[in-house]
Amino acid sequence: MSTPLAFAPITEINLRFRNGDLGANELVNLYTDRIERFGEISKAFISLDTKSALSKAEIIDESFNDDLPLNGIPYACKDLFDVKGLPTTAGSQVLQDNVAQQDATAIKCMNRAGAIYIGKNNLHEFAYGATGENTLYGTPPNPYDPSRLAGGSSSGSAAAVGFGLCAAALGTDTGGSVRAPASLCGLVGFKPTYGRISTEGVIPYSWTLDHVGTLTRSAADARLVFESLRFEPQPSAQTDLHNLTIGIPESFFFERCDREILDSIDALMNFLRHTGANLKPAFMPSMEYTRSVSLTVQMPEALSYHNRYLEQRGHLYSQDFRAGLALGQCLLAEQYIRAKRFIETYRNDMDRVFAEVDVILTPATPVIAPKIGVVEVTVDGYTEPAGNAITRYTSFFNMTGHPAITLPCGMHSEGLPIAVQLVGKHFGDEQLIDIAQLVESGYDFKLPLPDLG
Amino acid sequence: MKKLDKQTLMGIRDQFGSYAWEDAEISELVDPRLGIITGFQELLDQLEVLRKVDLEATPPAGDISSK
Repeated sequence: MSTPLAFAPITEINLRFRNGDLGANELVNLYTDRIERFGEISKAFISLDTKSALSKAEIIDESFNDDLPLNGIPYACKDLFDVKGLPTTAGSQVLQDNVAQQDATAIKCMNRAGAIYIGKNNLHEFAYGATGENTLYGTPPNPYDPSRLAGGSSSGSAAAVGFGLCAAALGTDTGGSVRAPASLCGLVGFKPTYGRISTEGVIPYSWTLDHVGTLTRSAADARLVFESLRFEPQPSAQTDLHNLTIGIPESFFFERCDREILDSIDALMNFLRHTGANLKPAFMPSMEYTRSVSLTVQMPEALSYHNRYLEQRGHLYSQDFRAGLALGQCLLAEQYIRAKRFIETYRNDMDRVFAEVDVILTPATPVIAPKIGVVEVTVDGYTEPAGNAITRYTSFFNMTGHPAITLPCGMHSEGLPIAVQLVGKHFGDEQLIDIAQLVESGYDFKLPLPDLG
Repeated sequence: MKKLDKQTLMGIRDQFGSYAWEDAEISELVDPRLGIITGFQELLDQLEVLRKVDLEATPPAGDISSK
């Protein structure tokens, strides 16, 4: 049985376009109807441009170009990306009158690939936070359980794809803000090597940790979108699971983790062993202070950007983000520099790890999607803020800049998706996606579609 | 290292050319109630541990080279 069109991956849509079974106009209309039906519930969008989307779809249908990888594919982006002539609000009152003068580089790339922009997604204000809560635009719920979070900060991007309102979405990932919501919503989240997708025209949160990333329905779709966005392609070594050496971190990444998530990851690891992959321990650097190191970089960088607005519009920021910026003000310059030096040591340590393995495998998150409004979560008797838990296994790789992809690998008894994270070598993005595709196609697990009523 | 107090942060605000944070926000850093990612005192304690680690001549992380 084929997938309902609203939940079909781009690869399947492309086949239907090429077979003449489907037109871009029909697809945009389908999503537009669904946005009318689910837009309010999902809180996925801050703004829409369906009129332009329909016009572009009609032009595409008149003379369909098979050579464009995303021709006629409707997509959305987190409301940090500039789209010429449209507002970029960052989910904040501060930028309500901010109209973009030109497209972000990533948007230009999507246009060049034939994709159809349909709207801007909700987010945690200025990408500050992993719960995706937004007092101005509401908190996007999880498509598998609307009482739970979609996760953030690319919350609306995850909800938009998860609720079947577009085929793919662009997000940003500073500590897991693409991978975590994708994981919680049963999607594929991909963060490339630092710098491989331009952040030009994207409102920054923390320049040296920000990555543009993709939220899609499959690893194959992540490839199509990534190939449309990346700078120079990198060669990908021939990959098969049989010859793969997979590093399993000895500590931290499997600790304080939901039992059912660990069981799902174990089952996946067994599958990989049976395919002939070599799973071996990976001795990662100490993770004890990594969150503090990340925070010590994030907050002064965020403050430095937001200083331009604080004097005139400081009162328009949400209370919690202002408190975070105030923290950035009170760190010493040497503490910031020292944190950057620790990041260099993490990179050096990871170079040694990757000399021994092709990829690293971890759970994507230690918890399933928390309930909306929950401040803290407890696993194995350890209580921490929900946002910290959601990104506990992802944020390290923003500092090291390694490419990382998360993909669904199980279903929790509470009816929510479970995901695995695969981390590759610097500039090994293409190979990492190859591996994710092999896992996706070989592993006998199919995520059920969300029951949206 | 002594525990951080509000007076220190107010001094930074008033004497270091800082943005004029409200007193309540300064209080939040000393006694967090909003659920900031990490309490500031806890962060400072951890940074103090890291300060004592000899990083030799390790430079700050820069761009990632494809080589």
